[in-house]
Order: sequence, then C-alpha cells, then structure tokens
Amino acid sequence: MGNKQTIFTPEQLDAYQDCTFFTRKEILRLFYRYRDLAPQLVPLDYTDKPDVTLPYELIGSMPELKDNPFRQRIAEVFSEDGGGNMTLDDFLDMFSVLSEMAPRDLKAYYAFKIYDFNNDDYICKSDLEKTVNKLTRNELTPEEVSLVCEKVIYEADADNDGKLSLEDFQRMIIRAPDFLSTFHIRI
Amino acid sequence: MQPPAASPGPAAPAGAELLRWQWREVQAPCLVAAWILVASLAKIVFHLSRKVTSIVPESCLLILLGLGLGGIVLAVAKKAEYQLEPNMFFLFLLPPIVLDSGYFMPSRLFFDNIGAILTYAVVGTLWNSFTTGTALWGLHRAGLMDPGVEAGLMDFLLFGSLISAVDPVAVLAVFEEVHVNETLFIIVFGESLLNDAVTVVLYKVFNSFVELGPARIHATDYVKGVASFFLVSLGGTAVGLLFAFLLALITRFTKRVRIIEPLFVFLLAYVAYLAAEMVSLSSILAVTFCGICCKKYVEANISQKSRTTVKYTMKTLASSSETIIFMFLGISAVDTSKWAWDTALVLGTLFFILLFRAVGVVLQTYVLNRFRLIPLDRIDQVVMSYGGLRGAVAFALVILLDRTKVKAKDYFVATTIVVVFFTVIVQGLTIKPLVTWLKVKRSDHHKPTLNEELHEHAFDHILAAVEDIVGHHGYHYWRDKWEQFDKKYLSQVLMRKSAYRLRDEIWDVYYKLNIRDAISFVDQGGHVLSAAKLALPSMPSRTSMSESSVTNLLRESGSGACLDLQVIDTVRSRRDKEDAAMHHVLRGSLYKPRRRYKASYSRHFISPDTQERQDKEVFRQNMKRRLETFKSTKHNVCSSKNKARLKEKGRKKKNISLTKETPNGKTHRNIPWQEAAPVLVMVSSEEEDSDSSETEREDDEGIVFIARATDEVLQGKTTPGSLDVCPSPCIIPPSPTLAEKELPWKGDQADLAVYVSSETTKIVPVDMQKAWNQSISSLESIASPPGIESGPQHRRFACPVLEEQPQSASQAMPEQSSCFQFPSHVSKSGRSQSDSSPDGAEQQELQPLMATEEQGRVLPPTAEPRWLMFNRASHL
Repeated sequence: MGNKQTIFTPEQLDAYQDCTFFTRKEILRLFYRYRDLAPQLVPLDYTDKPDVTLPYELIGSMPELKDNPFRQRIAEVFSEDGGGNMTLDDFLDMFSVLSEMAPRDLKAYYAFKIYDFNNDDYICKSDLEKTVNKLTRNELTPEEVSLVCEKVIYEADADNDGKLSLEDFQRMIIRAPDFLSTFHIRI
Repeated sequence: MQPPAASPGPAAPAGAELLRWQWREVQAPCLVAAWILVASLAKIVFHLSRKVTSIVPESCLLILLGLGLGGIVLAVAKKAEYQLEPNMFFLFLLPPIVLDSGYFMPSRLFFDNIGAILTYAVVGTLWNSFTTGTALWGLHRAGLMDPGVEAGLMDFLLFGSLISAVDPVAVLAVFEEVHVNETLFIIVFGESLLNDAVTVVLYKVFNSFVELGPARIHATDYVKGVASFFLVSLGGTAVGLLFAFLLALITRFTKRVRIIEPLFVFLLAYVAYLAAEMVSLSSILAVTFCGICCKKYVEANISQKSRTTVKYTMKTLASSSETIIFMFLGISAVDTSKWAWDTALVLGTLFFILLFRAVGVVLQTYVLNRFRLIPLDRIDQVVMSYGGLRGAVAFALVILLDRTKVKAKDYFVATTIVVVFFTVIVQGLTIKPLVTWLKVKRSDHHKPTLNEELHEHAFDHILAAVEDIVGHHGYHYWRDKWEQFDKKYLSQVLMRKSAYRLRDEIWDVYYKLNIRDAISFVDQGGHVLSAAKLALPSMPSRTSMSESSVTNLLRESGSGACLDLQVIDTVRSRRDKEDAAMHHVLRGSLYKPRRRYKASYSRHFISPDTQERQDKEVFRQNMKRRLETFKSTKHNVCSSKNKARLKEKGRKKKNISLTKETPNGKTHRNIPWQEAAPVLVMVSSEEEDSDSSETEREDDEGIVFIARATDEVLQGKTTPGSLDVCPSPCIIPPSPTLAEKELPWKGDQADLAVYVSSETTKIVPVDMQKAWNQSISSLESIASPPGIESGPQHRRFACPVLEEQPQSASQAMPEQSSCFQFPSHVSKSGRSQSDSSPDGAEQQELQPLMATEEQGRVLPPTAEPRWLMFNRASHL
C-alpha cells in the first residue's frame, strides 16, 4: 500500500474526488476493495485508464450476496451499460450515492431507479410486484401481491395516475423523516 | 419485626397479659409501610383523573403531595419529621431504580449511542460542575450574595458538582411521559446514569479539598482526583460486571429451586451496589452494568415464571421507590430549619445551570455530530438542555455535607431544594408542551405505511448488498466480534447446560427433518434451503446455527404474548383493518435482512424482548417454506384435506397470528399431522429424577421436557399450576397412544411420553405446542373473551380456537395463526359446542384427530394448500 500514487494520477484522484463524496483515502480504499473482487482482472496501475469491467457474474456470485434479492438490480442500476457489469467508476458511484454525504434527493433518485425495473421512469404495478416478490421470495400468491401493490400505489400516488412518479416517491420519503436515514453506509 | 422475646419490660407484668400494646416494637416498619401505602394510594388518586396526569407529571404531583403532607406533619408535630435521609435514599431507594433501569435498558440502543452518552456524562458533567461552581464563586466575589454565605471557591465547586449532575430518577420520571424518540431518550437517560461516577468523584474530591482547606491542597491531590475518577468509574463498572457474572453463574444452577431464582437477581444486584458503595466506587454504575450484562444469561437460565416475577417485582420496586423519593422530597422541603435563603444564590444557580447546560450541550453536540451517523439536530439539543433535570441525588448529597466544614450548607440546601423543585416541577411541566411545540420526533408507535415497510425492507437489502460488495464490516463489526466471543465462551459458561443442549436438540431434530426433506425432495429441497442462512446446518457449523435460539423463542412465548399492550387496545376502522391485513401479509413473508431493531425503555411497560428476532425470522421462514413444500408435494392428499377444511373453517373465522411466536408453534405442530412415518431422532433423556423433571416442566414450559424418560413423565404429571390458567390444554397429539386411551386425563403428557420413548421428531412439535398453549393461556388471562369479534387485530381468538370441538382439532392450530381474512362464524359455533361439553373434550379431541387424519389421506386434493400463506406473525 506504500506506492499509492502509482494507482491514480493526482488528476484522476482529483477528478474522482470531485465526482464523488469521498476523500482520497476512501477512494483508494474502495479501489483496493474493487481490486480484491477480481485481482486478476484489475490492474494495480490505473494511470492509463484501463478499460476494466467486472462482469456481473463475479459480483452476483459473491457468497455474501447469494441471499440478496436485489443484487442484480443494484448492479444493473449502477453500471453504465445497464447489464450489471461494473467499472471502477460505477463502483465508486454506487458508494458515493450511499455515503452519508450524498443528499437525500440523490439517494431517493437512485432508490427510485432501483425499483423501476422496466426503466420507464415510473414505478408501476409490475415494478412493485417484482419488488414484493423479491422481498417475499415468491411466497405470496399473485392475488396477494397485486393487492399489496395496489395498496402501496394507492397510498403514495398523489396524482392518481396509477403509478408512482419520482415526485410521488420523493414526497413519500419526505413525509417520513427518518426514512432514508438508514440508506447509507459508512465507509 | 421479631417479637421481643425476652426484653425486660419496664415493670414486671402483674400477670399473664391477654394483649399487649407493642407499638414501639413495630413502629419503624409500620411507618415505612404506612408511607408506602400513602404514596401508592396517592398514585391511584392521581391516576383517577386522566386529564391531570396527562398534563402534570406524576413526579410533580408527588412532590406537591409531599409538601402538603410535610405541612401537616409540621403543623401536628410542631417539628419536621420524616426527612429524606441520605442513607435511606442511597441504600434503599436508589438501588431499585437503578437496577430497573439497567436491567431493562435497551442495551442495543445504549451501546449504539455509548459514545455520545459517555461524552455528555463525563465531559458534560465536568463542564457543568466547573462552570457553575466558578460562576457562582464569581457572583459571590462580586458581592451580589448575602455576606452570610461563607464559601470559597472550593465550596462553590463542591456545590457545583452536586448540583450539576442530571438525576436519573427525575429524568426517567419526566421523560417517560414525554415519549421523545429513543435516541434522544437514551442519551439523556444514559447520561443521567453514567454521570454518577463523575458526580461521586467530584463530590468526594471537592469535599476533601474543602475539609483540607485550600491552603493544604497539593498538586498531587489534583492528580489523585483525576486518578480516582478512573478508579471509581472503571472500578464500579468492574464490580457490576463481576456480579453480573456471578449472578449468571448462580442462576445456572437453580434448576431445582426455581422459586428463589428472582431472589438471586435482586440480591446479587443489591450486593453489587453495596459492594461498590463499600469501597466507595460508583455504585450506580455497578448496578447499571450488572443489570445490563446479566440480563441475557439470567433470562436464559431462569424459568418463564421467574422471568415474569423479576420483571414485575423490579418494576414495582422501582416505581414505589420513585414515588417515595418524590414524596419525601416534598416533605423534606418543609423543614425550614435547614433553610437559609439567599436570593442571589438561588437565582444565580438556576440561571447558571440552565445556561451552562445549554452551552455544554451545544458545544458537545457540535463535536459529536462530526462522528455521528444521524446528527443530533437543534431541536434535540434544546430538549437535551432542557431535560437536564436535577433530583433527589443532588438533594441527598447536599444533605450529606458537613455543616462544620461547609459553612454555607444551609444556603446550599435551600438552593438545591429550589433547583430540584424548579427542574422537576417547572421543567417537568413545560417539557411536554415544549416537545410538542418544537415537533420533536416522538417515539412514534404509529404503524408504518405499507410503502415505508416495503421500501425499508428493500433499502435494507440494498444496503446489505452494497455493504457486502464493498466488504465493509461497518457498524456491527465489533458487536459481531463480541457476539462471537459471547457465544463461544461466555454463554457456554453462564448459560444453563439444558438451554444449550436443548437448543442443540431442537436443531438436531430440525436438521434431521431437513435432511429427510432434502432426500425426499431433492429438487425442492435445494431451492428451499438455498439461502445461506437457512442452509442445512452441517455438523461443524452447528454452533452458529444454534444461535437462532429456538429456546428463547419459546421462552418468550408467554410474556411476549401478554405484554404487548399496544395490540390489545387498538380499535380500528375498516380501512385500517384492510391495511392491517396487508401488513400481516407483508410482515409474515418479508424476509428480513440484518438490521438493528429499536428498543425502548419504559418504567411502566414491559416490552417483549427483541433479541434474536432475526433468528426467529429465519427460522420461521424456513419452517414455513418447508411446510409449504410438504403440503404441495408429498402430502398432497392429506394437506389438501387440511386445507379444504381449513378453507371452509377459516373462511368463517377471522383470525390472526396472535404473537410472533405463533407461526413457529404452528409450523411445528403441523408436521406431525402430515407425517405418518416417524423420524428417528435420538433424544437423550438426561433429566435424572422425576421431581426435578417435574419442576422443570412446571416452570419451563416450552422446551424443557423434551428430554425426559418415559416413566418419569407418566408418573410426573399433576396439572401444573401454570397450566391452570389455560382452560383447555388441548395438545393435539399426532396419534393417540395406548397410554392416552388409558389415561385420558393425561393425554398431553402421555403422548409426550410416547414420543420420548419412541424417540421421534414429534417431540418438537409437542413441545412447541406446549409453549403455544402457554402463550395462549397467558393471553387468555388478559383478554378473557366476552364474545367473539372479528378482525385481524383481535387476539382473543386464541381461546375460542382452543376450545374448538373435537373433529376440528386438527385444524385448530392452523386456524389460530392464520386466515386473517375470513369472517368468523365457526369459531362461535365451535365455542358454544365446546362450552356445552367442557369436560372430556380433551379426550375427544385426541381421538377423532387420528380418524380425520386417516380420512384425510383418502380424500382427493381439492384445493391447493394455500392456508399456509396466511400464517402471518404480528410483530407489533
């Protein structure tokens, strides 16, 4: 860890610092973690901006994540190509959003995106159904699921269009003050 | 209390006396009893009017009452009597309160905020003492005070040290009624507990300085003062930990003398207090940590009844101590002989303690917020500053001052009384409106909206995923480490073997069942048990599995059920009901990721333990899923019969899972009905003699009788008192056995015995069922059902269901915990029928069960086994 400067050029580090909510040290720490995921893929020298992506299979197969219903969706939302393959930038982005410094709106936006399975900028019933199914591990019957989803939409849908827009979502989040307070990770 | 045996009377009695007036002998205890009685009656009176107590804190009322009573005493006796003696206060009144706080301290919350708490307790108290003391001294130097106040810097510092400590008793009494959010509460409350060490040290140091006289204080004395702080605080904590260890160890061996278990808890905690007091360590810290640390092990070791006893006794003691303290504070204030009024001193003190507390809080919060995950905002700070109530500790300390050494004692006493009264009455009265006005986040007991519930779960999962990706240990790293250590060593030493062993046995059984499943349904099994946490416990990793403590889960069934006050009194509209139903759907099936649970502390309510909830969760989910598999595949026929019945029955019965344990009980119980072939599991019968097994059984309903030899059980059954509450001990045996038929009244024991002897897995279900019955019975005792109502929130259904008539016995269990959406007719009919034939129902219940099951097998599958889905826990 002694030769930190060889990983990034100072400019790169500055750029990362500007784009994220992290300090230099944290960026480096995250980089090492990123590299730990696939030492054979990720070079130690990032000065020439190598085009490295971690395939989703690698992330999805992490034993800790085996259990997590959202692993694929998270990877998809945060990866640039939408396929769950993560570059270092994506990786940093992800934590940046989840850091304590990130504003609530940004978090809400990403949370919204995670729910929005079909990327139509609305959480519609099918999105919710997917979420519920993931959360309950397919234990509910379709009727129950759809009942729950209807209720959820009914609760939060301010403009009565039958789906939740980002505004609806944000309004709901603001209404419950410590709603997003848990939505961060301390690096 | 003893009658004087050979006390030589003043004059030799002329002859044998028929009666003798012995007031002198009983005077002291009699007075104590009278005072307690007065205080308690007063409490009742206060609570007659809801309106008064909702506005005025009880502590205020008690002080006022004390003032009144003191006035009466003064008028009658012409001299003030019945003071709050420091000795009495520190030796008898304070320990119960502190023990209660420590024992029921939401330890998670406490340790989560330990940094903030310690900062406020140590730095804050130091700051308050010194600034207040110095400022008062300045005031004195400026000549604003009466010249009669003879005090130097040291005297004022001494006074500052005793007046600046926030008082746990007062804080609890007021904050409990305010219901601010948990974090705020725990910070103020924790501070008030932990600042004891600082107060004690400062008080002692300054006291010795005053006694020495300022001329003779050397630099080493200051160093000594600092050193003694660490000694007192750490020493007090160490004493507490030591006694917690002892206590846990002792309760491990009380198997045969269950009746004195609660005694040990109180006794050892008290001894810890006295021991710390003896060597002048911080006794409050000792008891607090004794309570915090011993709880887990003690709760695991002692029986259900002892647990309840401990809980209630502790609450009672603490509550009455508190009452007496406040009342005596009022009474003591009447004694004008101790007063020496100085307006400047009083006003100055009031002003300075408020000012410096606020400044201190703001400064410290500013620093703390840099490290805190959730910063304390401005409003929190206001409440924290304002919530710094002073109380009886300050009063007792000031009374303890030596008048010859501290010349201004009378002034200090008067000031302290005024300060205490001001903080308790004025601040106590205004803090509630203030909290409302500032819109402080209350500890909201409102139900989360569906959205919140859903999204919070989603967020937790997302976070967990991201944490895992980054390999970030986070927050819970040290806690995990500690838990590892605890599991590996501490629990081994401190917890009763049986708790451990039984736990293992359950897991053994469970494990075997799982294996069986896996063999039977390879494809399904893989899917079902895919989750890492739910995976089959392989032998080496079994220790980790055993952490999902089934024992605890069972153990809690009784108390958890009956103490959940929130549920009982909720009356809801139709729409709410729908929502509730949805919540049940979600609650029951949401798979929880790791997260921390909030806990709260209250003097007057005892909340069910939140520990191990996640383990329960995993266990429950797994069991449920397993059953699902059972139903849908192998036992298609039988289950569909169950299901068909259930549907029809269930349709009529709105019912709910009554407690969070319900699903467990149910799931377990289900197994035997479905399974014809017994699974062989070796259950060791290690309880040696029958009477020990009997006591165990009586006290530790839940699990203990798993391991019992046949004959003992058979002979050992006399209806335990604990079961008396339960009108229908309907244990549904998987099959009627010979013993049962011969001894119908022993049905439940008999079938147990059979199971033990044949060593089948059904033992587990039976045990679970027992636990279930316990929880039901405890429920019943609270809410004895006058009639049958529908609605998912009504727990009363427990009893109608239990009194289900014979042929529906096999369905009784599923229905209890399920079918939240169905109207309820059958429960009524079932109840009335069972009412008509109350006796013998038990035997009937047992007999036809088998028949129905047999029939069920033949029946074609008519509907898919959906009922399981309705198995929703109500974690409320």
